Amino acid sequence: MPETTRSSVRLGLLRCGACGALDPGPCERCPACRASRLERVEADGTGTLVSWTVIRRPPARLKGEEPYAVAVVQLDEGVLLTGRLEPAEAEPRACGDRVACVRLLADSVPVFEVVRRA
Amino acid sequence: MRPVVVAGVGSTRFGRHDGVPAVALAAQAAEQAIAEAGVERHEIGALYLGNFVSGFLTGQEVLAGLVGEALGLANVPCTKVEGACASGGIAFRHAWLAVASGLCDTALAVGVEKMTHAPTPEVTAALNCAMDNQTDGPSGLTFPGLFGMVWRVHAARYGTTREHVSAVVMKNKRNGLRNPLAQMGAALTAEQIEESPLIADPLRLYDCCPTSDGAAAVVVAAADRRVGSAAPIRVLASVQTRGSARVAGHPDLSTFDATVEAARRAYEMAGITPAEVDFAELHDCFSIAEIVDSQDLGLVPRGKGHLWAAEGRTAVEGDIPINPSGGLLAKGHPVGATGLGQIYEAVLQLRGQHPNQVRDAAIGLTHNLGGAGVACTVTILGRPDA
Repeated sequence: MPETTRSSVRLGLLRCGACGALDPGPCERCPACRASRLERVEADGTGTLVSWTVIRRPPARLKGEEPYAVAVVQLDEGVLLTGRLEPAEAEPRACGDRVACVRLLADSVPVFEVVRRA
Repeated sequence: MRPVVVAGVGSTRFGRHDGVPAVALAAQAAEQAIAEAGVERHEIGALYLGNFVSGFLTGQEVLAGLVGEALGLANVPCTKVEGACASGGIAFRHAWLAVASGLCDTALAVGVEKMTHAPTPEVTAALNCAMDNQTDGPSGLTFPGLFGMVWRVHAARYGTTREHVSAVVMKNKRNGLRNPLAQMGAALTAEQIEESPLIADPLRLYDCCPTSDGAAAVVVAAADRRVGSAAPIRVLASVQTRGSARVAGHPDLSTFDATVEAARRAYEMAGITPAEVDFAELHDCFSIAEIVDSQDLGLVPRGKGHLWAAEGRTAVEGDIPINPSGGLLAKGHPVGATGLGQIYEAVLQLRGQHPNQVRDAAIGLTHNLGGAGVACTVTILGRPDA
């Protein structure tokens, strides 16, 4: 998979031109107010670990890549994102740990690392 | 809306049915339901068929028409419905709606899935079609992975431990031992569960329902219509809701709002409170799901699902028996059939004929949840005198 490696990665979000609500997208209209004017903005790529898991039985297209960790992160902007967490197996971890995006997988999937324990 | 009853039910065993096509499984369950209902097949005014991955895994679509033809139904609408793991529950609701609205006097709901011939990565890929594959799929998330994350959130909030969750597995596997339709009933120890391989941390093998083949069918009829010799079971409520398909649409991963809202509307429609429910067949695709669902349905106080399971309060003899059939964990999960299989089990309970009979069962609830909570059905059934 092509990878973009950067020390700190900014993540693209959509902001509603009418009500200002943020959404990870993709969407055609603002989920909050239905306005159609959405603009691309950049998020810092830092946030809080909501939850995570280690996938040991992947779907067919990822066979051979296991184990890998998938996480849900709440960005500091408030938006929830599903991405990867590295390294795959590093205990202890806890919901609430501070994370930062370190790179993008396939130009789209954010890869996070824990930067500070909760 | 006029009163509707379940007039007949049928089901294949859940498990492996090597070499038996989905259409044959569906027809087998449907023939049983039709015979039990005592209706002539020309009287059936509509067929709704629940199925999820037949196209992906077997290369066969148009199952509704094929099953209608195999059954020799009249030229009536035969419709496939799909809502991932809730497809069977949705099929039931549409059959109920057809009769309740007066469109026809008798309707047939059939659910079927054929999965066990496919290798696990293919099955995982097929089930992943129920995810929002623009937002969550690219990460490599799977459904065991989603529920592994649900477990961690529940644990962080309520102190849920491996031992609590294992209590659900042991109960359902034990219940499955007595159910002749169940794929894998078992007498498991906590050690056996803890030593089974990790699938998506912290979920282990025994926390996950098996891959299954199977079919289930239900004939519904207007309550004032003549029905067969089996006691007619009243449909007190049938509700379907939508939730967010994407993980980002669930700000709290310890609850599914589609379930909460479906339950609220169902209790209102039935005119009962959760305390009046005598037993439930709910969507335990994973062990932790039973804990979450029991809270979302209002059967157990929020934050106590794991405690009630560990204290035996959800056992067949408990305060609120949950999944006396063995649930998806032990009975199996032929996806499109599951919601109708739950209704099959509930009907046997309300007739007093279940192998794990709940004493004095008068009102039963079934709960079927699809995808990441994108589709949900809740059905409340009552004994004739309930």
